Amino acid sequence: MVFNACMKHKLVRKSVREFAEAELGPIAHEIDREARFPAEVVQKMRGLNFFGLQVPKRYGGAEADSISYAITIEEISRVSGAMGLCVTVHNSVGIYPILKYGTEEQKERFVPKLASGEHIGAFCITEANAGSDASGVETSAVADRDGYVINGTKIFVTNGGVCTTPLIFAITDPDKPGRSASVFIVEKGTPGFTVGEIEDLCGMRANPVSSLFFEDCRVPKENLLGKIGDGLKIGLNALDTGRIGIGAQAVGIAQAAYEASVKYSKERQQFKKPISSFQSVQNTLADMATEIDAARLLVYRACDAKDGGKEFGKEAAMAKLYASTVASRVTGNAVQIHGGYGYSREYDVERFFRDAKVTEIYEGTSEIQRMVIARSILSEPI
Amino acid sequence: MAAKKRSIWVFGDYRNYFQNRVTLQLISRANDLARAIGAEVCVTVFGHGVDEWVWEYSCHGAHKIYVCDHESLKFYSNDVYIALMEKLVREHEPEILLIGATAFGREFAPRLAKRLGTGLTADCIGLDIGEDGLLVQTAPAFGGNMLTKIVTPVKRPQMATVRPGTFQEIPHDNDAKAEVVHVPLPDDLPKDRITLISSVRQPARGQKLEDAAVVVCGGRGMGSRKKFRNLYELARILGGEVGATRPVVYSKWADEEALVGQADKHIKPKVLISFGISGAIQHTAGIKDAGFIIAVNKNPNAVMMKMADVAIVADASQVCTALIKELKKRIRS
Amino acid sequence: MVKMIVCMKQVPMVSELPWDRKTGLLRREAADGMMNPACKSALEAALRIKEEHGGHITAITMGPPMAREILHEALAMGADRCLMVSDHIMAGADTMATSFTLARAIETYCSDFDLILCGCHTSDSETAQVGPQLAEELDIPSIAMVDDLRLAGRRLRIERVSDHFLETLEMDLPGLVTVTTAHFTPRYIPMAGLQDAFQEPNILTAGAHDLGIEEGQSGIKGSPTQILEVFSSTAGKQNVVMTGAPKKIVEDLFALYEDSIGSVIRKDLKAVK
Repeated sequence: MVFNACMKHKLVRKSVREFAEAELGPIAHEIDREARFPAEVVQKMRGLNFFGLQVPKRYGGAEADSISYAITIEEISRVSGAMGLCVTVHNSVGIYPILKYGTEEQKERFVPKLASGEHIGAFCITEANAGSDASGVETSAVADRDGYVINGTKIFVTNGGVCTTPLIFAITDPDKPGRSASVFIVEKGTPGFTVGEIEDLCGMRANPVSSLFFEDCRVPKENLLGKIGDGLKIGLNALDTGRIGIGAQAVGIAQAAYEASVKYSKERQQFKKPISSFQSVQNTLADMATEIDAARLLVYRACDAKDGGKEFGKEAAMAKLYASTVASRVTGNAVQIHGGYGYSREYDVERFFRDAKVTEIYEGTSEIQRMVIARSILSEPI
Repeated sequence: MAAKKRSIWVFGDYRNYFQNRVTLQLISRANDLARAIGAEVCVTVFGHGVDEWVWEYSCHGAHKIYVCDHESLKFYSNDVYIALMEKLVREHEPEILLIGATAFGREFAPRLAKRLGTGLTADCIGLDIGEDGLLVQTAPAFGGNMLTKIVTPVKRPQMATVRPGTFQEIPHDNDAKAEVVHVPLPDDLPKDRITLISSVRQPARGQKLEDAAVVVCGGRGMGSRKKFRNLYELARILGGEVGATRPVVYSKWADEEALVGQADKHIKPKVLISFGISGAIQHTAGIKDAGFIIAVNKNPNAVMMKMADVAIVADASQVCTALIKELKKRIRS
Repeated sequence: MVKMIVCMKQVPMVSELPWDRKTGLLRREAADGMMNPACKSALEAALRIKEEHGGHITAITMGPPMAREILHEALAMGADRCLMVSDHIMAGADTMATSFTLARAIETYCSDFDLILCGCHTSDSETAQVGPQLAEELDIPSIAMVDDLRLAGRRLRIERVSDHFLETLEMDLPGLVTVTTAHFTPRYIPMAGLQDAFQEPNILTAGAHDLGIEEGQSGIKGSPTQILEVFSSTAGKQNVVMTGAPKKIVEDLFALYEDSIGSVIRKDLKAVK
């Protein structure tokens, strides 16, 4: 992997940044305040292939490499963490599993509309009793004549309020011992499938996170993704891909907080000097800059491994773990540097702080990431 | 044969005369330059029914005026005027040729310079004669943050376009008499390759901001829409206008009408007070002709602060409020 | 089918220019580059014509190797092919030398053009001269500062406001227009376009030799104008710095400038005792 951005990646960054600053910049504060999903900006993103970043051309995507994808998520998140979340979840866990495990018929049926952004994707594992422990899932999918009947509740679904083809992780054969899980594509409008209230969350507030309810919801057997029992495999693979996106998102949020801190510290004067002249502030800024760079490189390293066709689970977990930790630390320090103003909702810094925290929780908590990494390193030959 | 007298030429751009006085301003500067190199000031006037402009130029400092008055020259035309000017320039070989940087001038001058194979400097804000007798042209670059001094050492005439308002015209003198030379219409002038379908004079839109003597400009540093609006009160008290930067207009703290910048309104106030503006090129390009500048910014190193005559390191909104308060006290009396 | 050429320039992407106080020279290398905004609008105008009438777009730039980036950007936006004109002898060119070089490139590689579109001016030099001078060099008509244009067959109808006149003009192709940013807001670049622009980019490179240009015709040696010096415009400013509490600052301000400001606003600003 080369350490200096190539011309293509420079141009990708410039272009996405230009869009994000012009279209999301003026409203980022307001959509967080009002917990409003900006459908009008989503409409503009559609024409730029933001919803089909890595989808093959023949399904209407941009077929971009993973670093281009990571840069896109980073630049959107730098302006609005909530919208960066929408795009990454849609691309990584909403479409990618269909591309990897779907039949050609399923790909033709679902992917083009997802890639164009006409439909928004989501992936639902989490339930009231199943967070880190996926085996706690109780949503069931029971086979009948020509399909499956799904019953259960999924919570904390990113894009829940606007998704059209969420992927549902459910237990098939719930009564048999050794319960196996499978993944189903459930289409909006299917009787028995309803969307709950939008959650009132600390951060990522412009993203319509909600619960999804399934009450005797019948889906045709053509909507089973992969085979019965493939659930865990699909789920874990989806998360590996998703973690690269979350890592990129965390880098973007940290970057925004860091830039704000540098600017503020040059302007704010105390004791007749700009606070950027104080060693303690300089130390903090230096650490911020270094850690964000390190996080970014870890994300790109995971991208490189994925695009190279190698196993990338450990690399993706490392990237997500480190980037999210850095994001929390950097945004916390950013608030501190801004002092009282950092604590005010009138400034953006506290939004970065609130948005950063959840990157340590979703798509596998930091504790789970450590488990994944440890498992990997302990199974490696000396 | 007597040596040709050296001359400095000015293109007579008489369209919109009365408001557009750039030709008079150039004639005035040409007089200064002419004294330095021992030359006469000549003006060219192409058009139809142009006696009034010939008279005006005569009264404002022209020594000689070349007039080509014909029906076919009624409307400004690049193709025709360039051919005509080329003939005259090759015949009389002026040292210097000055053209006002009106929209027409800014298109006419470059094509003419290329036709004549000579150098051209655009939008000059200064013209002087250097030690070696060359015309030293001072022009802005990078949105006015930089100034360049340019010369055309070899090629002639030395050409420059000049922004209206750069120089002061010589006061009208009824007794001044220029030598008027009537140039017959050459019979080999080209046909205009561009057809003018219609030309409608626009009503003079309120140029309040562009013409204001006092402008109060605000940027993001004002903090909020509410605080920004105080600038309107300050402007009212000073009898001036409010300008804004692009980010501020985008956040809807001010109207599009107030936008000052490179691609927007260019202002030339005698006094400019800049509040909470960092000095991005896109903005400073619109204020480079301002006179006395007072800048208020928390950041003492901001570009705007370096450009100012007085740099106030403080919170922009607080200074605005303090200024309003003090002005109200003093003006009441 | 309209054969179009869009001339573009890479300019420094900075809001504040890095310049070396000691040498007085611009440190262009310190700044990242971007497509000059007006040139992007010119490309946008060309793309709209292509969408409406069908056509082919060649994007050309004269610059150092790093300028290649804007050609990839042009391809990503929808240009069909690009020409990179670069040679060390072309450095330091004024508008005369630049327009001469571009003209030779056009005559060598795409002489059968219908329409050339340029940005009205660049954000760094702002002369607005290259477009008209290029047209003069190619001996084609030109119209500058175009706000709107419509093509009907081989006739271009243009609207613009020029010196307070709303003008409607017609020009037969081949011709050249320079475009303002006001009316041609450039489209954002789709990711698919960005990826394709680097796959097998249709970019031709040409040096002075390829264009039959000799050393005295281009660059600094081919420029009739010469820069004597470059200096900061703030050089003449007194730059008085004031700090402290706003109330005190305002008092000091009036103490120094009440007369000069007062005379401008035509009011007596002396304090009441």
